[in-house]
Amino acid sequence: MSGYGVEFTKGLWSENPVFRMVLGLCPALAVTNTVVNSIAMGLATMFVLLCSNTVVSTLRNFIPDKVRIPSFIIIIASFVTIVDLTMAAWAHPIHKTLGLFVPLIVVNCLILGRSEAFASRHPVLRSVVDGLGMGVGFTIALITIGAVREILGSGTFLGYSVLGAGYTDMLVMILPPGAFLAMGALLGMFNAVDHRR
Amino acid sequence: MKGGMARLILVLGAICFASGFGLAMVYEITKEPIAYQKKLEVIRSLAAVLPGLEIDPDSQYRDLAGKDGDTVRVFRSEDGDGVVGVAFQVIAPDGYSGNIYIMMGVLPDGTLGGIEILSHAETPGLGAPITEERWKGIFKGRSLENTDLRVKKDGGDIDQMTGATISPRAVTGAVKKGLEWFRDNRDNILSAEEASS
Repeated sequence: MSGYGVEFTKGLWSENPVFRMVLGLCPALAVTNTVVNSIAMGLATMFVLLCSNTVVSTLRNFIPDKVRIPSFIIIIASFVTIVDLTMAAWAHPIHKTLGLFVPLIVVNCLILGRSEAFASRHPVLRSVVDGLGMGVGFTIALITIGAVREILGSGTFLGYSVLGAGYTDMLVMILPPGAFLAMGALLGMFNAVDHRR
Repeated sequence: MKGGMARLILVLGAICFASGFGLAMVYEITKEPIAYQKKLEVIRSLAAVLPGLEIDPDSQYRDLAGKDGDTVRVFRSEDGDGVVGVAFQVIAPDGYSGNIYIMMGVLPDGTLGGIEILSHAETPGLGAPITEERWKGIFKGRSLENTDLRVKKDGGDIDQMTGATISPRAVTGAVKKGLEWFRDNRDNILSAEEASS
């Protein structure tokens, strides 16, 4: 039995959802054109992941195997709707920017994946730590992609100019193709670092 | 597998019920803040297009027939002597991607108080500068008489932005149509009595 620390840190590096498991790519590509969007999407996903992991793990002996997938989907969809409504009520501008991608957290395979592969087989506390680690890892990955794209594409970080007025924006980086370029380069770097170890 | 079919239905039903109950509660809690945010958005856009004038969007409006048989909600700011400014929404359907929703403020003499982009899906970095104050400000004080409301590329007076013509052209066209509609329906829009058109 490994400690809770390992359960948490595996999400950050060795099993990082975006860079190692290559899960949840839709939001990782679609909304990472600014760091602010990345943070908001990361936090929203982390909240859903944490809640769904907790509930799925609590109910794991109660839900029959045959209906586990629909049950997980209902649980996940409920939490996503809660996040959606909450953001619309108290974080209206960012909710407007993220738009459709908040409801789309439902189909983020990272969340269903953690329910199926981890929470439905492990005790509650362990699942909470797993959800937290995966959520933080996902958020960090999104912020990394967002930072690369925003700095290269707009010359800013969190809206503050970092490359000076003389910098010509690489517009492609904040357009959809830039998401793939940034993603590919970062994945390559992660693999290179991993190979060296 | 104990229980069989009945247990499956029971479990899934219970989860659905709990989820529905939870969502109903969250909906009740967030209903008012969301409505408030939407109203705030309208107030903010009205303040931007009719600077210095006060409008209560809940009562000071009139629904009139638009050009294409649609209904246009005209917000009207009044002082003791009558209407001192109106604002209404126009849609530019010919943007680069999707409709551009524009709030435009018009003074009784037919000049523009200002315009505000309510929502758009233009390419970030290229078409998105239509939301910048620098560009929206061009429209202040313009009217059908003193300005050729087309972008410079088409021989008009409105500056388009470098690299982007489509989005400014769409917005400019929609604003022009809005002003023409205002001119044709001026009496109806400004009259104190609700007239049947």
